[in-house]
Amino acid sequence: MASTTATPSASPSWWTYIQRRKTRNYIFAALFVLPAVVNFLIFRYIPIVWAARASTWQYSLLGGYRDWIGADHYLRALEDPILLKSLQVTFLYVIVKLPLEVALALALAIFTNQAIRGMGTIRTIVFTPVVMSMVVVSVVWALILNADSGLLNAFLRTLGLPKQVFLSNPKLSLPSVITATIWKDVGFSTILIVAGLKGIPRIFYEAAVMDGANRWHLFCHVTLPLLRRTLLFVIVTQTIFSFQVFIPVYSMTQGGPLDSTKVIVYYIYQLAFRFQDMGYAAAVSMILLLILLLISVTQMRFLRSDVEY
Amino acid sequence: MSAADPRRAAQIVGWFFILLAYLLIALIFLTPMLWMIGSSLRPSPEVFQYIFPLSWRTFIPIQFTLHNFADIFGISEQGRALGFQFGRALLNTAFVSTAVVGSSLVVNTLAAYFFARLEFPYKNVLLVFVLGTFFVPQEATIVPLYIVVRQLGFADTYWALILPWYASPFVIFVLSQFFQEIPKELDEAAIIDGASLLGVLRHVIVPNARVGLLTVSLLEFQFIWNLFFWPLIATGQKELQVIQVAVATQITQREIAWGRIFAGGVVASLPVIFLFLALQRYFVEGVALSGLKG
Amino acid sequence: MQRPLRKNQSWLLVLITIFGLVLTACQPAAPAPADQPSSGGEAAAPASKEPVVLKFLKYADPVEAIAFAKIEEEFRALDGGKWSHVSISYDAVDFENLFPKIETSVAAGVELDLIQADGPDMKHYAWNQVLLPLDEYFTEEEKAAYAPQSVEEGSYKGVFYGPPFMQSCSQMWYNQEMTDAAGIQPPQELADSWTMEEALDAWQKTTVDSDGDGTPDVWGVRWGQGTWASDYEQGILRRSAGEKGSPSYEGMGPDGLTFQGYFDTPEAIAAMQFYQDMHQVWKVTPVEPIPNIFQSKKAAFVVYTDNLIGELNNQYPDGNFQLGLTGIPYFETQLCHTGSWHYGISANTKHFDEALAFVKYASGPEGSRIYYEALHQLPARLDMLNGLPEYDTYPQSLIKQGFEQFGIPRIQTPGYTEYQQVFAEIAQNVAAGADVAQQMTDGAKQIEQLVAKYKGWNE
Repeated sequence: MASTTATPSASPSWWTYIQRRKTRNYIFAALFVLPAVVNFLIFRYIPIVWAARASTWQYSLLGGYRDWIGADHYLRALEDPILLKSLQVTFLYVIVKLPLEVALALALAIFTNQAIRGMGTIRTIVFTPVVMSMVVVSVVWALILNADSGLLNAFLRTLGLPKQVFLSNPKLSLPSVITATIWKDVGFSTILIVAGLKGIPRIFYEAAVMDGANRWHLFCHVTLPLLRRTLLFVIVTQTIFSFQVFIPVYSMTQGGPLDSTKVIVYYIYQLAFRFQDMGYAAAVSMILLLILLLISVTQMRFLRSDVEY
Repeated sequence: MSAADPRRAAQIVGWFFILLAYLLIALIFLTPMLWMIGSSLRPSPEVFQYIFPLSWRTFIPIQFTLHNFADIFGISEQGRALGFQFGRALLNTAFVSTAVVGSSLVVNTLAAYFFARLEFPYKNVLLVFVLGTFFVPQEATIVPLYIVVRQLGFADTYWALILPWYASPFVIFVLSQFFQEIPKELDEAAIIDGASLLGVLRHVIVPNARVGLLTVSLLEFQFIWNLFFWPLIATGQKELQVIQVAVATQITQREIAWGRIFAGGVVASLPVIFLFLALQRYFVEGVALSGLKG
Repeated sequence: MQRPLRKNQSWLLVLITIFGLVLTACQPAAPAPADQPSSGGEAAAPASKEPVVLKFLKYADPVEAIAFAKIEEEFRALDGGKWSHVSISYDAVDFENLFPKIETSVAAGVELDLIQADGPDMKHYAWNQVLLPLDEYFTEEEKAAYAPQSVEEGSYKGVFYGPPFMQSCSQMWYNQEMTDAAGIQPPQELADSWTMEEALDAWQKTTVDSDGDGTPDVWGVRWGQGTWASDYEQGILRRSAGEKGSPSYEGMGPDGLTFQGYFDTPEAIAAMQFYQDMHQVWKVTPVEPIPNIFQSKKAAFVVYTDNLIGELNNQYPDGNFQLGLTGIPYFETQLCHTGSWHYGISANTKHFDEALAFVKYASGPEGSRIYYEALHQLPARLDMLNGLPEYDTYPQSLIKQGFEQFGIPRIQTPGYTEYQQVFAEIAQNVAAGADVAQQMTDGAKQIEQLVAKYKGWNE
């Protein structure tokens, strides 16, 4: 990770000091991470290994293990049209949602970071959807988007535009879900970016302003570069969360119509809990693990700040 | 002080746009919340009665009632008879969320410090190992997780709701990024002054990452607060019910008690919102260091 | 078929013990939930008067909980306190998550005693040996006390697995103010029930768009409870399109695995086309369901069970809702889906005798009466159904008659969960305007693939 990019030349005294006590420090360092690692091994890796193992069995929750079938589930996955469709839907969801959400969060963060009275309140307002329960959110959005009597259609009508079907239209259902989830999640990213902005020392802005920079320059040459690390982790974590979107889809569209919102975790849920096929669900989960592993590692390499400022 | 002063005019226009943006944001993000609050104050048949055509009635209750709230807290006769204990559920949720955030602050801060600062072979691989814990969707791991928790004897106890979450890959990852923003020179100075690694963490890292710590704590708090499927699976006794599970029980096989669902939605979200609001002042004064960076 | 049920988990223990040892060092004192019925170990002594706690996994319903508290109390006082050492610990979750919770509990080997099982799922549980067969504990006479539909739903391959809580049958309710305003008098006898075409006429007349903006203020109909699509209600349409005994009416092949030729018949497709046109062409029902649409007087007709009476009494305590009932409309054959929830005894119970005694009491004459008095749902016990005067008077009389004359269980197959999931998606797609014939033919194939694993179940 980024920390290793620090070169010895950056701070020699620190480094010689560290080198001298290397072995002792390794042990000591390990103690810092041990409680977390123990948690992960017990509560996350045993389940993951269990799922990996289940993916090689004919296994259902109610019926237990039947036959060991090796890689059959993975071969089946290669030819499963619904899986292919759900991967397409998921990628589309992430590719559209992520940039929009991060851009919007960035805009909201910068807006609410102004030293003006009332900005703490508006930050809270942007955060309210994050804490609203999804049952309520899905009802509200279903009412806003309702094909016949929804708020949005009432608004379109006042503009003289034709009525639209949103959620039960395979062309607009995914954009609708994306809109609703951006609305729900953007506050989450916003407060992370606000925290990042708070870490930028004011002196940088003052120096740039003295050099005659305008607002846009400040944004491009001060804010954005110094927010790079913050944006990196917002993007990395939001990618992982977005790839695993489930509850909004479950409560708003049930994956439909015509599988147009059947994201991969919805399909996994369906396989495991409805189609009595936990073994295959586990195999699909392992495929998702590989995809996320590749994407996260790539993201971290791409977005890593090579230039220390 | 003439109005024609272009700088003054630009300022006024600027203020106007800020106000406009402020109101627009408030409208977009607050409307559903207001509708939920309005609905929670209506008798059941009225909840969906005025959703269309759109008018002030859509948001303002006609027959104002606090009955839904009295019901869910078991204050009203009906609520008592039906055994609703949302107050208990709120306390459970608050206890569990606080316990997780408390332990998480210690455990994850230590781990984040490890990733941000300490020297260790193959630390990158270890970070992927940490992040990897949330690459597999919960739907695929909830059964084995439940098996593990049961084998440890924690099923149907508060521990089931706390222990699996006391370390968080998200928090570790984000905190370690915040920690890396802090100039290393500060650590160095402290070590030269004779501070131990723990001392550096306590006296250099933590004070300088207050905003980051506060932010992730809040996010983690709401994450645990809003957990639904895991508490539903891992606990059975009503005494351990968390608020999200309690709200869901208003959807029964016979009927959906919308009024009580929205009242439940209000009491489930307001505490976190107030907490967030109360913490805002720390965000304002939270600016880390002045200019030691770089 | 060999089935090494979850025996492969011992390796987990080894791993966990290792980590457990690490953990114990930093573990605070044990929490103290006073009684923890789920933890094993205490099953050693089956002594007669040792306290026994039965763990009952069921859906949450506060009114039903009151009924069960009463049933439990009476049960303990039975026969001079023969079962006074038995108490029940309820694990109640919202009904949508009951099935996942049962699955998870079974997969994790949780010791359960009683399970509340949905009628169509009984075969599924029986096939997976989640429930114990109770055939030998129920005499033919005792079984005959229940409605035949309930016995069929509670049985697997002719073996009885559990008695019902209650029964249900959907008919079509209407808001009398609205039908009066439209000058419609829905038939009050089942023999005169509307066909779909006649019903459509009424729905069109009661769809009111006063400002002419294309969005009705009041809709003609909502087919089904809630806002979802399910086999329980939407499945009636395709089966009603066939004559009695025809493939469409049967809904699937006698092997419980064949759907092509049953699910995708021309009549079934035409029925689902009608369902689509209700949304898309005639616009008598909203494309996207509106919650509580009938209860908040936004729809004139609704297809619903008799829960509706209690619900409206709750919502309009001053009786400000003029409710009427007419027979469920039909294409070719009039029918309603029956549906009971059943008591099941978990295969891993350690208190079978106590569990059985409780089940027999709760589903027996006294228990059923207490249940009915709290919930007022169609009783599954025939003696009770026939003894209740309210079921001889309109409107409930129509529910009873419909149930007796044309109430049939949903299709009986261990693959019901898979089928229902696919059908719900199809119904959603059809309402949204998808190609009906393609949906039904593709759907039949997909269901067959999903249920192929149960091949040979009823041989």
